[in-house]
Amino acid sequence: MFKTKKRLSLLLVLSLMISLLAACGGGTASNSPGSQGAEKSANGEGGAAEPKLEKVKLSWYLVGDAHKDQSKIVAEWNKMLERDLNTTVDLKFTTWNDWKTKYNLLLTSGEKIDMIFASSWADFYKLSKQGAFLDLKDLLPEYAPTTWGNVPEEDWDSVTVGGGIYAVPNTNPEYTPLGYVYREDWRKEFGLPEFTDLDSIEAYLDAVKTQKKVIPINGAAYENVNSLYKFWNDFQLIGGDVIGATSYDNPRDIQILPYTEEFEAWVKRMKTWEQKGYWNKNALSSNQEAGDFIKTGQGAIYWRNPSSAGGFINEVKAKNLNMEIGFFPFTRFHNYVIPTLPSSNAMAIPKSSANPERSLMVLDKLRNDPEYFNLMTYGIEGTHWAKGEDDKTILIPAPGVNLDETPRYSITSWGWRYEPNMKNEKGGWDGLDALKEEFSPISKPDIFGPIYLDYAPVKAELAAVNQVFEQYGKPLMLGLTSDVDASLQTYRDKLKTAGVDKLLEYIQEEANKYFDEKGIQ
Amino acid sequence: MNVQAEKWPVARKANKGSKIKEDKATIVFNVIGYTLLTVISLVCLIPFWLIVAGSFTDEMEIISEGFKLFPHTISFEAYKSVFTTPEQIYRAYGVTIGVTAAGSLLGLLLTSMAGYVLSRKDFMYRNNLSFFIYFTTLFSGGLIPWYIMMTKYLGLKDSYWALILPPLVSAWNIILMRNFMKSIPDSVIESAKIDGAGDFLIYRRIILPLSTPGLATIGLFLALGYWNDWFNANVFITSDNKYPLQFLLYKILSSAAVLRTQTGAYLAANVVPPAETLKMAVAVVATGPIILLYPFVQKYFVKGLTIGAVKG
Repeated sequence: MFKTKKRLSLLLVLSLMISLLAACGGGTASNSPGSQGAEKSANGEGGAAEPKLEKVKLSWYLVGDAHKDQSKIVAEWNKMLERDLNTTVDLKFTTWNDWKTKYNLLLTSGEKIDMIFASSWADFYKLSKQGAFLDLKDLLPEYAPTTWGNVPEEDWDSVTVGGGIYAVPNTNPEYTPLGYVYREDWRKEFGLPEFTDLDSIEAYLDAVKTQKKVIPINGAAYENVNSLYKFWNDFQLIGGDVIGATSYDNPRDIQILPYTEEFEAWVKRMKTWEQKGYWNKNALSSNQEAGDFIKTGQGAIYWRNPSSAGGFINEVKAKNLNMEIGFFPFTRFHNYVIPTLPSSNAMAIPKSSANPERSLMVLDKLRNDPEYFNLMTYGIEGTHWAKGEDDKTILIPAPGVNLDETPRYSITSWGWRYEPNMKNEKGGWDGLDALKEEFSPISKPDIFGPIYLDYAPVKAELAAVNQVFEQYGKPLMLGLTSDVDASLQTYRDKLKTAGVDKLLEYIQEEANKYFDEKGIQ
Repeated sequence: MNVQAEKWPVARKANKGSKIKEDKATIVFNVIGYTLLTVISLVCLIPFWLIVAGSFTDEMEIISEGFKLFPHTISFEAYKSVFTTPEQIYRAYGVTIGVTAAGSLLGLLLTSMAGYVLSRKDFMYRNNLSFFIYFTTLFSGGLIPWYIMMTKYLGLKDSYWALILPPLVSAWNIILMRNFMKSIPDSVIESAKIDGAGDFLIYRRIILPLSTPGLATIGLFLALGYWNDWFNANVFITSDNKYPLQFLLYKILSSAAVLRTQTGAYLAANVVPPAETLKMAVAVVATGPIILLYPFVQKYFVKGLTIGAVKG
């Protein structure tokens, strides 16, 4: 009797557990076929009946994280979409966890997605060549007429791959050249001139080291030196760290840069910098950002682009650190700047989309209608932002809102940016606007970014060359070898045996192909 | 933790020794033993302490002076960042505990049944079937086909099943279980059969109690696997109320990491979360409950691993 009872209760528990599990999964399992069916039928009719739109549910993906209030904002957005386009959008986020794997999975598995963030740094060119995205050329004029009209011709060019337009680029000319943020108050204290060239930077580093007894480039130094190297020599690296054009004006003069005289002079100079102690012995292995040491008063220089420099300066201000930070963009060496590719932030429609037409209509609204744009880019007015003194300015946080409870609304809205709708935050770093004014007259188009390289014929050489670069090139760049001449010779020899010539040949060929296509000499 | 398990027998011996007369050798042995074990357990504890202390240190202090056992300035910034949305953390705890409990129990049941069947010598195709299972450890379809299978054909996108099913049964565990059950003499099973027991009764009343050490081991593997799993959630879960703990914590870390990169500059956050201390705080939040739970569960593991010898 007792035994059967025990057994029965065990059975009961087990079955309960199983039914519980089944209930958890059951909801979604039974949901998906239904919604899919609805989508399909909607699609069938949606194309035919133009004036009265059928109800459609779209699925959109963005990279990055959702905001805490995301569901509220999307609900608001869906209300508007339902009113105007009889559409609702299910907005999903990849989160930043291993997002590249996820992004590629979404596109390769053929999951039904109607719009996704696309970017040159998220393999846009590779994926479009592989046919992951839908060609929008014929759809755009009909379903996104406003966008079709207000995106400049050359921006469409940047998302054109093999004759098809595979994404809608953002329209917000941006300049993100690298530069140094540095302790401006110290420079004034030393009575040194503003940075103009390598010598003035060296003088500053020297003063920091000798007078302040501070290591100027503390922590990880490689990128700090490498970015200076590229901009000072005007090297335009193409696909990797070893091969590139020797200057912007000679794009077809593509060389193995470590073989050049400039490189030799550079590494010799860096050796003297290292000997003077401008960075640590562990500069290659350190995980600490040089910028963190500036904040603690133990560093003086840190590589940033203008907008991240702005973030850095704002942070220093917000923390009430008693220091003045300046920014020196490396573009002043050669007096020109390459704007960010329009394709670096874009929205694309995957091949698997069931409703590309409707999705484009939504994007057209989102980009160009300020009501839509403000909601999805800046959040709910009064909660996440408030109107500033004019139409172009906003206040964050909105009056009476605590940022600890309602963090600022910043999702990856980059793909639908449209300059006339963008707003400036009050109290931001004013240097940014000054830099924009400095940059726009000296802007030159990016002719190196879109060169498409998949390295298929030279995979082995690429891996070997990268290995050599990591092992010999990086220490050399930071002067961390005892004998520069000898290690330069070793580096060059090792590159040769790794097959760098074959790699060069491949890159030259692909680059020339692109230059021919675009008519660049 | 092993250190503690070793400590007990020594302590017991010492107690017994005090009743009889302690000779010099025993005292020397005890002194050496205690000091050695104290040192070793301290060595084991220091990393944990470093994590806890690090999570309460001021970020700036870590950058300028490195990690310290006893920080100068105590800061709760890292925990503030982790708990910006506390309800989400509690929810994630719930998901993780639920998935871990359900997954480990169900997994244990399936693994032990499979292991038992494969261990029975009177099961005709056991070698073929074993090979069939073993084969999957050598070859797999790869990530993309797996993903398509899970989402398109099984419809498991954004379902709790996507968290429970993939780690549920592993070939390695089945083989381990089979080998373990092989060590149970056939005569035990035969005698039960003679007494009129059916296969399920034998499995439940004879095999399972005799394989508690194996069950404890595999249960531990499964539970740890579920507790630490974030990849399945990363790939399959889209709604944030289904995020398990590890995924959520990883998300907090990677958002903080992105904010420090060039891409993060667009995100226009004026307050960058403290990256170094945040890592430590996340580790504390993730392992804390397990460490607190361990002393209570430990005795079952020790018992399960030591008894279970076949007695006639």
